Formats: sequence, structure tokens, C-alpha cells
Amino acid sequence: MKKYIPLFLMLFIAASSVAIAQTDNISPQRKQAIDSLALEKVKDLSKYISIIGSKQTQFSEANRVMDRAEELFAPEAEMGVSSLSSKEIAYYKVRRYFERLMALNYDQVNISWYDIHYISDLERQPDGRYVGVITVYQRFEGTSRESGLNYKDTTKKDITIYVEKKQTQVAGRTIDFWDVMLGDIRVTETSA
Amino acid sequence: MRKFILVLVLITSYRFAPGQGLYSPGQPSDDGRFAASTKQVNQFFRRFNAEESKDGSTRFNPGDREYRDRELRKGFINILFDNETTSVPKSLKEDFTQTVISTGNPQFLDFHNGEWFAEVNTVFMIKGKRENVTLFMKLQEEGLGFEWVIDNIAADFFKLYFDKDTGNDKQFLHPLSHELGFMNLRKALQDNKKPESYTPKEFSPDYLSIFLYEIKKGNIRFETVSDVKFHFFQISDWYFELSQFNRPGFNTGWLISNLVKLNEGDKDVILNYIYDQN
Repeated sequence: MKKYIPLFLMLFIAASSVAIAQTDNISPQRKQAIDSLALEKVKDLSKYISIIGSKQTQFSEANRVMDRAEELFAPEAEMGVSSLSSKEIAYYKVRRYFERLMALNYDQVNISWYDIHYISDLERQPDGRYVGVITVYQRFEGTSRESGLNYKDTTKKDITIYVEKKQTQVAGRTIDFWDVMLGDIRVTETSA
Repeated sequence: MRKFILVLVLITSYRFAPGQGLYSPGQPSDDGRFAASTKQVNQFFRRFNAEESKDGSTRFNPGDREYRDRELRKGFINILFDNETTSVPKSLKEDFTQTVISTGNPQFLDFHNGEWFAEVNTVFMIKGKRENVTLFMKLQEEGLGFEWVIDNIAADFFKLYFDKDTGNDKQFLHPLSHELGFMNLRKALQDNKKPESYTPKEFSPDYLSIFLYEIKKGNIRFETVSDVKFHFFQISDWYFELSQFNRPGFNTGWLISNLVKLNEGDKDVILNYIYDQN
């Protein structure tokens, strides 16, 4: 949580630099600050996925990281997975997806992330919260020594982000800030 | 167009050099294919309108010099067509491009302005059998923002139930049935396979209501989504279809897969085609 403090501060500053009348609108400057915070959360998720998938990670440590990873998500978030051979979506609860990742039957797993991302505009939903999508690309390599199998794939991950205006008390003053939670993730195998 | 893609790839290769956001040393680097791909429908809108930089890393807003720049748009629109499998004539693409980037009356896409909708192919379990159902979704304003709603559905297994005969085969209630207190309704509606025979010419079943009723009764159960595409009528006198292309190369992501110049009455013909899934 501590690492998000500078980003929260950025959001406070962005919030205070716009007219008070624009209470619920998101200016381009504020959008940039929100994007940074959202990208930090995605970065954390990518780090957690790499740890959970790694065969060097102890079971207890993997479970602890799964707990941390779950905290990034809004309740009821799901992963929707499709492959090149089937465009149909298979649905997993976030925790189940992590558990499946941990249980993959490879001796060595390497998960890495391409040096590219894309962040959508934020759209307001009926309850007043904003929603956006961040797209990232993941490279997976799994090696099984016994069978000599080496499996590789690249997946596109479209990650929902929910952006909500919240309030906190600082030195007796009520201050607004924007919080980001991750939501459903669509995982698509790519031809890369 | 190749020049535009090359420039885009070169810029993106430079811009997305290690050091950004997610990334750490040793990570795989994009050779420009992911950067070139139209990764989200949102990016299709932005590229179509020239509201972002070539590499997609900078969002242009009203007041920015590059915002909706005509030359940038021209380059973008050229790469927004599926150029590998769709046989839209080059002259038609050029006509369309000139229409939307015209200096006097440029046309832009607007996320909130209607005149576009999604076609979502889904699978439902019905009596133990997998059945395809197409949902037509539209955006509507609701509460403090917007939501996608199911506007219509198409499903072959529903259509089978509404197959009214014509001519001599069509059953009917004779015109003096009223004198007998409509006692012949028993023959018409009890154990009759074609009760739809007794409906007016203009009768059209409301599949969406039946669909919702069947879900609520527990008779059909959602399984999965199998495909999504979009239909756009926002550009005056033009229709285009937007589909996702997941394949190797640089011409990937959300791309225009069909383009039609509309004459009077064509819009209704296309809509009927889409909704009826003929």
C-alpha cells in the first residue's frame, strides 16, 4: 500500500488543480494520474502472476501472493480465457485461475510481459464509477524435463479497471481521492 | 499505407523501449506487431478519429495541435481495414476515406451517439443441448453513465416455433366462428403444432421476451460467448462491420471487415439481414 502513496498524492494534486465545479469529471491531467495508478496495480498483478507460476515459489509463499493478488480485485471478478483453437470463453474465478496456474505440470515455468500496454478512455457507468480497460501481453514458457515438452504461448490480457471517487480524513479535513480496483480479465491466446 | 505502418512500427519500437511501466530487463520486446494491432474497440475509435498518437501512448484532446489531424486520420483509416481476408474494393475504401476526412464536412465516430451496436454470438444449454443464440446489444444512457443492454436476439431454435404456413396449407378460424362462441378454438390451440397460424399477418414474435422468460423459468442456461462483432451506421450513407482478427502479422485486432455505401432503403435491408441472420 505504501508504494501507492506517491500516486495517491499525484491524484490529490491533480484533483486540486481543476475547478471545484468539475467534481465528478475526469480531466486529461487527472486521467493521466489515474492511468499511472491503474498501471501500478497491473504491474503488481503481473509480478504476482509470475511468482505464482514459478516452480521456484514455495507453496505457502504462492498462497500468500495469491492473497495479495486477490486484494487487487473487486469482488466477483472473473478471468475469461480463450485459445487459438477455441474462441469460446472458459470462465474462472480469479483465485481458481491462480490455483490452476500454480498447479501446471511443468518443471520450469517462465512468465514474462511484453514491453507494451494500451489504456482505454474511462467511461462512466450507471452507478457513477468509471470503468476502463488496460491491455497487456504475456509470454508463457513451460518446460517438462521428463517428457521433453516445451510449451510456449503469448496471451493478450484485457484488464478491467474500476475507478471510484472516495473520501478520506486528513488532519480533520475531508479530502477526495480516486481509487482503482481491478475487475474481470479477458485472456486471449494470440498468434504471436 | 505501408509507409504509415513502417513509421508506426519504428516509432513504437523506439517508444516502447524497456523502462516503461510493467517491464523489467530481459522481458520480451514487441517487434511492432502488438503496437500496430488495434487492440481495443476504444483504440479503433481513437485511431478512426485521430485522437491518439501513432504509437497509441498519447491521447490527444480538444485543443491539442494533433487532435483529429486530417493527415494522421488518413494514415490511420488506411490501416483500419482488414486487408488480408476481406474483399472490399480499393476504390470503395478510398471513397469512404475521402468522405470521412473531407475538409468541408469531416465525420467522426462518437462512442455515445448511437447508430452502432454489438452482435454477440453466445452458446446456451437448452434441454441438455448446446444452442447458438445471437444477442444484439446497444449502449444506453442510465443513471450517472451508460450501460450495454440486450436490444434483440436471434436464435434458430426459437424460429422453428414460429413457422406459419401460407396458402392452402395455412390453418384458420372460419369467419363465422363467432356465431359458435369460438368453440373451434379447441381444435386450433389444443395439441396443435401450428398455433401461430391463428395470428395476424403483421404478427412478429418478440424473441427477447420469450428468451428472458425461458431463462427465468430455468429452461435455458448461459454457457459462453463465442464471438463478437460490431455494426456501425454512424457515418452518413455508409455501413461498416467491425471484427476482431487474431492472426500473425501487422494487420490485426479490431478492423473493418465489411463496408457498404448506402442508397435509400439499404439500411433497412442490412438491418433485416443482420437481425434475421439469413
